[in-house]
Amino acid sequence: MPRIRFETADREVTFPEGDEVNLLRVAIRHECGIPFRCASGNCGTDRVRVLHGADQLLPARRRERDRLGELYEQGYRLACQTYVAGDVTVAWDPDQREMEASGKVYDRLRQVWLAKDDTAGSPGSDG
Amino acid sequence: MAELLNTTDFRAALEDAIKGREAKNASFSKAWANGELSREHLARWAENHYHYVGPFADYLAYIYANAPDTATDAKDFLLQNMYEEEISDVRHTDLLIRFAEACGTTRERVMDIDNATAVTRAFQGWCYAVAFREHFAVATAALVVGLESQVPSIYRRQYPVLIERYGFTEEEAEFFDLHITSDEIHGERGYQIVLDHATTPELQQRCLQLVRHGADMRFAYTKALYDTYVAPDAPVADPEPALA
Repeated sequence: MPRIRFETADREVTFPEGDEVNLLRVAIRHECGIPFRCASGNCGTDRVRVLHGADQLLPARRRERDRLGELYEQGYRLACQTYVAGDVTVAWDPDQREMEASGKVYDRLRQVWLAKDDTAGSPGSDG
Repeated sequence: MAELLNTTDFRAALEDAIKGREAKNASFSKAWANGELSREHLARWAENHYHYVGPFADYLAYIYANAPDTATDAKDFLLQNMYEEEISDVRHTDLLIRFAEACGTTRERVMDIDNATAVTRAFQGWCYAVAFREHFAVATAALVVGLESQVPSIYRRQYPVLIERYGFTEEEAEFFDLHITSDEIHGERGYQIVLDHATTPELQQRCLQLVRHGADMRFAYTKALYDTYVAPDAPVADPEPALA
């Protein structure tokens, strides 16, 4: 059976031959400790470096490539966006935090939270 | 009387509760995966699907309110899920409407519940009722394990067809691409919450029952789309004579 080695946690998990499994889902189910926050490829907290078996990963889609930028060329993947089809080894910094927020996310938050002018101190504002 | 299942057996029972009821095997899903639907059919799907997934954060909010403050892991998951649905990036319903418009329908038609089937409206009502009335672990089992965890298996079949056979762009079909991965994680965390918080035989059995009901509801909703929009258009091999 194919084997995923979670190097940082010194754990290995196998899965049925022929399956394509989501890397973060496997890590969560088997408590392998990949840090994560969102599940949408936005925060980047779950970035992992592929030490072996990059050819056993399904190709990254646009969302993941855009979020990782240069890190993608350096061998990183986002665990939540990555499907595994064969033997692979990954590692990560156990203390890593989310990547710098993408401009798209900030734009969205600005649109939501700063839509009203809250600097004027007008009566009725729910400050 | 049922006994308390250990974690391994309870997880297997939850997975078994969906088997045989998977929405990926409903007639509309199969026709979609086989490239047999028209853009008009997909537009009708979007006009219905909005009324199931549009209020998903509302459903989760009811579950959140029913969860005790000691269930921090469950509350954090629910809040994160709501945030992702609504404001972490493009609002998920806006992605759905973007796809709907690419199919030729309009935002106004999508948001008008009169354009949904009666089965879709019943499905939405069931989601609200379960979220509002059931123990938070049971509601999580119903809506996250029974419904949301099925999404990757459905969309992983449908998304490539949208791009390669129906000719949609990646941007137009982003709704599907996003949920293939996000609902893998939501589904797994849903399983964790149910396994951790359904701590009596009665709660476990209620979870299993509601997972079955949820899967049944999603299957019925999907089948009704075929019966309503596709079957009347399908060629009839040996039509019966019309009644006088």
